[in-house]
Order: sequence, then structure tokens, then C-alpha cells
Amino acid sequence: MKRFRVLDIVLGILGLLTLLWIWHLVTMLELIPRVFLPSPAATIAALEWGLVNGDLLPQTLATINRMIQGWLLASLVAIAVGSLIGVSAIARAYIQPTLEFLRPLPASAIIPVAISIFGLNSSMVLGVVVFGAVWPTLLGTIHGFAHVEPRLVEVSRLLQMSRWEFIYKIGLPNAVPDILAGMRLSLTVALILAVVGELLTAQEGLGTAVLHAARSYRAADLYAGILLLGLIGLVSNYGLAIADKRILAWKN
Amino acid sequence: MAQNAAIELKDVSLSFGSNEILTGIDMSVEPGEFVCVIGASGSGKTTLLRMIAGLLPPTTGAVLLHGKAVRSPTRRVAVVFQDYGRALLPWRRAYANVSLPLEASGMPANQRPARIRQLLAKVGLANHEDKFPGQLSGGMQQRLQIARSLAQEPDTLLMDEPFGALDAMTRQTLQDEVLRLVAERKTTVFFVTHDIEEALYLGDRVVALDSNPGRVAYDIKVPLPRPRDQLTTREHPEFLRLRREMFEIMNKIHA
Repeated sequence: MKRFRVLDIVLGILGLLTLLWIWHLVTMLELIPRVFLPSPAATIAALEWGLVNGDLLPQTLATINRMIQGWLLASLVAIAVGSLIGVSAIARAYIQPTLEFLRPLPASAIIPVAISIFGLNSSMVLGVVVFGAVWPTLLGTIHGFAHVEPRLVEVSRLLQMSRWEFIYKIGLPNAVPDILAGMRLSLTVALILAVVGELLTAQEGLGTAVLHAARSYRAADLYAGILLLGLIGLVSNYGLAIADKRILAWKN
Repeated sequence: MAQNAAIELKDVSLSFGSNEILTGIDMSVEPGEFVCVIGASGSGKTTLLRMIAGLLPPTTGAVLLHGKAVRSPTRRVAVVFQDYGRALLPWRRAYANVSLPLEASGMPANQRPARIRQLLAKVGLANHEDKFPGQLSGGMQQRLQIARSLAQEPDTLLMDEPFGALDAMTRQTLQDEVLRLVAERKTTVFFVTHDIEEALYLGDRVVALDSNPGRVAYDIKVPLPRPRDQLTTREHPEFLRLRREMFEIMNKIHA
């Protein structure tokens, strides 16, 4: 297992370097005009300048902040509501079709609704992020509760555990793997929607920064922003993968 | 007034629709008695255990514990299942698995650690309290389930083929451990097995079930001296005589 992990990391880095090298070649040979695709070196220089001298740092933090806030709120709502639905077979049967109707709705489709409710402001962005990010975790929680080992249900009955005790001692721990899988998916959704929301409402953030850069033909700044967005996704996903491993130590 | 039986079954029967599982079961188990129930698979012996546990109501008849009708499970009765891998909480370490009944019964948190360690030591898991069930061998997992059942301080212990999935050596060791543990507290035991020798070795009494539908075929006393010993008990002339008798009974039942 360990041996493969080191190899995996090396291969992963090689893959990223390959992408960088292809990018470098494409710009060096000017296959795409520099105005549209700057060189990696120019992009990294723009990134450095933006972070140190420009306002790329506060913009990045604003986006991360929005993403994390929406994601945490969505996860909290999803776990609480999912537990309440999941613990009862009747509630599951009652609400599952409704969830299946709401879940595939593209979160962008509810943006007009959100705008009419909240207006063009940061609450609207947060609302959209929460709406989009709530589904994977909600469905994961319900699924986890629906698949509790029947033997453990009997154990809880034999010990005369209350429904509340059953939820947090058996149902929730049993759902944790599904909840974590849902939260990983929803983090990506949260990032996407945070950026889309910024674009629409012109809130401070990477989405807006990228849009402004594109409109004023500052290609290097545009790609610096995209690079940062990619990095946020990469780092947050790895962070969650590590947390996953720790929390699910009992599975290995 | 005579003391109430620990477990009493009065003309108990159970059917699912037109499918009759158990019929006309009359049986009583005295406090402190170790009763083994044997029968082929499909004889309803596990179903009988589940009814005594309060997990399943009988279709007709009554199940009484110390004279009171069973309507739902009570913590005075503990169950040890055969499938220890499913009955334990895989996300809780050995220590926390034993803690579960103590939490359920509302024992104050500061009194739990001593009790948990004592129970783990009793079943020989003192050095494994930080392991998850998945890190323990089958025999150790079953020991852990036994420790958890004892944490309830039950006056009645229901065991459903608890050693059926274990190898012969482990099985013998655990048989002796269970005998020692229940003798300490004079616990009443209702022990389901399909192994005639195991039933004779452990029980004060052996009840054999006939199948389709399940009903009591034979009920014999086992007058073997205690403490039992894997060698001398199993070589005891009475053990050998009873073993032959039981084999013949079981053959007749399944002929």
C-alpha cells in the first residue's frame, strides 16, 4: 500500500508537469495568440505580482470564505435534515421522490429565484451555494441511515436506546462514510457556485477578478485567477481526503 | 409460593401468514439454569430465542420472564448473536463497544472506565481495548460481544449459536469461559446450538426441537458434575450415554 502511494504522488506531479510543459510548448510555438493564452511564466509572474502587490489575495480569500461558509452551512443542514428523514422508513418513502425532483435541478436554474428573494448581494450567493451543495450530503446521509445493519437495529432495541440515542450512536456513525463522500462532492459544487454567484453580483472575489481581467484583455491575470481556482479545488479535495482517512480509520 | 421461572413459554406458537414456524411450545427455565436448545436449521430455535428477547411477539401463547409477560426487550436480558461481525459497532473501539450498554442504562461517565476494564479483563481482552472490531480475530470479536452482553449485568443470557462460526480450539476455550462467567453470577442461560456435544457439555438440560413446524421433541436433564472439563466430562460414561441417546433422538426426528 505504502509503496504505491509514493509512486502515485510522483506520477501525479509528473502529470501536472506534463500539462505545464504542453502549455509552455503551445505558447512558445504561438499556436494560440499570446493575447488569449499567455505563457506559464507570464501567468506565474502575474500571479506573484497580484498576490504581493495587487488585490488577488483578498479576492482569493473572499471566494474561499464564500465557498467554505456555504459548504459548511449546506453540510450542517444536510446532516440534520438527512438524519431526521433517514431514521424513519416512512419519512424516507414520503420525501424521496420530492428530493429526486429537486436534486437534478441545475443550481444555476434557481439563481433567478434566489435573486428575486435576496436581491443581487452576498446573501443570494450564499443561498445559491447552499442550495447546490446540500444535495450530495443530504442524499448520502439518508442513504447511510437507510443501510444500517439490521443486527445493530436489534442491538439498539435490546438496549432500549431512545430514537435520539439511535441517531447519534448508530445511525450517524454508520452514515459517516456516505456523508464524507457527499461532502467531498459538494465542496466542488460550492466552489463553482461561489464563482458563478460572484460573476452575477459583482461581489469581491476571484470570479469577478477573472471576469474583469478577461474584459480588459489581461490574459496573464485571467489565467492567474484560473490557476488559483484550480489550486483551491486541489488543496481542499486533498485536505478532505486526508480527513476522510483519519475519520474512517476503523474501515481499514 | 414457588419462585417464578426465569423463562416460561406457555403454548407459544408463531406463524407468518399460513407458514407455521413454531407450535405449542411449553417450556420453563429455572433461575440459574443452563438450558441448551438443539435442532436442525429451520426448526425455529433462533425464532424462539428472538421471542424470549422480546424482538418478536408470539402469534398465540405467552412468553413470561420471572412471571411477567414480555412485550418488548428489557436490559435484564442480554443476547449474544452468532454473527459477531455484524452485532458489534465497527466504528467503536473494543472499549467503546463495551461502553454502549453502560451508556444506555445511564451509568455515570466516571463509573464506566473501571467497569469496562474489568469486563475486558474478564474475557481476556485487557490488552486490546484500543482495537477496532475489524482488527480482532473472530474469537476475540465474540469475546468482545460477550463482554458487552455482561455489561448489561443481565439475569438472563440468550446465546444464538455463539460459537458456530469459530474454529474448534477457540470454541472449546470460549465454552469454558462462558461456563465460568455465568457460574460467577448464577445467570440463567438459554443457549441455541446445532451441536449435540456442545449442548451436553454446557447444559443442565437439553431441549431438542422437531422441525416443520418447530415443536419440543425431547427435554432431557444432563446430570454431569460441575465444573465441567473438556477432557474428563467428554469421557464421562454418562456423557457418552447421553450423546448416543441424543444422536438417536435426532436421527429419529430427521428420519
